[in-house]
Amino acid sequence: MLRVEDTVQSPVEFSAALIAQFDDVVSRYPAGKQKSALLPILHLVQAEFGWTSAPAMDKVAEYLQLQPIEVYEVASFYSMYFLRPQGKYVLEVCRTGPCCLVGAEKIMDHLEQKIGKEGEVTADGLFSWRGVECLAACGFAPVLQIGPEYTFYEKLTNESVDQLITDLKAKG
Amino acid sequence: MGRKLLLEHINVPGINTFEVYRQKGGYASVEKALKKMTPDEVVEEVKKSGLRGRGGAGFPTGMKWSFLAKPEGVARYLVCNGDESEPGTFKDRFLMTYIPHLLIEGMITSSYALGANTSYIYVRGEMMPQIRILEKAIAEAKANGFLGKNILGTGYDLELYVQPGGGAYICGEETALLESLEGKRGNPRIKPPFPAIAGLYGCPTVVNNVESIAAVVPIINDGGEEYAKLGIGRSTGTKLISAGGNLVKPGVYEIDLGLPVEEFLYSDEYCGGIANGKRLKAVVAGGSSVPILPANLFLKTINGEGRLMSYESLSDGGFVSGSMMGSGGFIAFDEDQCIVRNTWNFARFYHHESCGQCSPCREGTGWMEKVLHRLENGHGSMSDMDLLVDVAKKIEGNTICPLGDAAAWPVASAIRHFRDEFEWHVTHASEAVTRNYGLAHYADPLPKPEPKPEATA
Repeated sequence: MLRVEDTVQSPVEFSAALIAQFDDVVSRYPAGKQKSALLPILHLVQAEFGWTSAPAMDKVAEYLQLQPIEVYEVASFYSMYFLRPQGKYVLEVCRTGPCCLVGAEKIMDHLEQKIGKEGEVTADGLFSWRGVECLAACGFAPVLQIGPEYTFYEKLTNESVDQLITDLKAKG
Repeated sequence: MGRKLLLEHINVPGINTFEVYRQKGGYASVEKALKKMTPDEVVEEVKKSGLRGRGGAGFPTGMKWSFLAKPEGVARYLVCNGDESEPGTFKDRFLMTYIPHLLIEGMITSSYALGANTSYIYVRGEMMPQIRILEKAIAEAKANGFLGKNILGTGYDLELYVQPGGGAYICGEETALLESLEGKRGNPRIKPPFPAIAGLYGCPTVVNNVESIAAVVPIINDGGEEYAKLGIGRSTGTKLISAGGNLVKPGVYEIDLGLPVEEFLYSDEYCGGIANGKRLKAVVAGGSSVPILPANLFLKTINGEGRLMSYESLSDGGFVSGSMMGSGGFIAFDEDQCIVRNTWNFARFYHHESCGQCSPCREGTGWMEKVLHRLENGHGSMSDMDLLVDVAKKIEGNTICPLGDAAAWPVASAIRHFRDEFEWHVTHASEAVTRNYGLAHYADPLPKPEPKPEATA
């Protein structure tokens, strides 16, 4: 859900390098069908800024010659786009059936103790976590992923989660 | 041991690179199709193979291809569905990760057959690493003359692109996928017109699952008739099964269709039995949407015949006592699992993933989730089971796309086969929050395997 306070952020600037990536995406579609580039471009924006803010979406609309609402409605439909700021590392744990058969719920309980409530960002701004739906890795369950590269961590245990958090903290 | 058509070289080091893949005979189907066959002959081979769509619906691929409209001067598209999101299914991720060139090769051969000069592989956004792998494979294929202008000097041009999704189960439905590829919300379209007439950008389009496209490679190499010799009846060829849940050896297995389910479940070549020496309680045979079956009905049909891993045998008994092949997402539940909790989990999934276009699905999935949640947490009543069945019935068949059915079937089947467990959650409400119902009469009819003696070194 878009909130007023999220929309009154200072305007964002897209670097020339980022625009060049946008151009490359747009070149994949027939002339006049540049709207197809919207989902890939939103991924690029999120990788750059950590989330898709309203000013960033406005700029995307301008770039793709769309109405801003066409961007908002897409960003809010798909689960991967963050409409508010997140921790630097968002741990996304699969919470669907097959993962729960082998302990995903315990992993989420552990994360709640370790990091805090689902969706809340830690004071140092490094972490947040959330449960997501099936990540298509049921044979290696329980699993979590971390964007923007969406690196995968499989067959999780409380210990491996602790280790992961320690490693990420060291990385900063 | 069955013949491997897709995963034959999966363990060859470097098979993810063009060089090694080519050494192992890769891209032969492209050479054969482009140099020696007309597009219609390629379609004909796929028809002969009897290949059925591997994404879940099981519709014959060759027939789907033959429906493609071919108006003069209008572009045609092949779009590969790599949105793999069905809970229990992870075969496409496996294939794209370890043998990406098989998919690229299949895309080139299939695009040629359909007369497409631009094709897209739509991959769910969460699979960013796989998207990078495919982009690298495409660049390698292009550098070696298998993509781009005038492929292998035959005059055929093809550009291939990978499109990331944004995280939505519904985009596995082909018209929702096309909407998403056009940069819109993933709302399924009303059919007709079917994509074969008006698909991507309103042009004739074929949408096929990753595994279906990959299967075109052995079909063209060996001929459709050879492919059809594998399998059983109308379930021809091999199928990738994603085995997950409480198994000794979860993973992706390529099986000849027609393999006995007992062998698949218990033999060391495949799943190796139930983990931790437990017994089997239930199985979801083809991804979360298909009806769940208790162990005894899964291993044997209602007539006492051993069930096989084939489209027909898994659906033997219809919705009363059968299930479906679906996408091959095989989920095994051991004796400690709670069917009510799992059904609630699946209902929540469908509620979360409903696109919201059709009221029966948008509202019905939410009601089912709420009712199941209160049952699981000890606040249910005896009338809730009938209520759930009623809601499920009112969703089924009343929606634009099959997500409504997919949400209704697991709930309806869980109540049909495990009603006593649901009732126990009402009659023993406080007990139900602290312990599970257990195996009861759903018991696996096979004796519990003896623990294996420790191997002596």
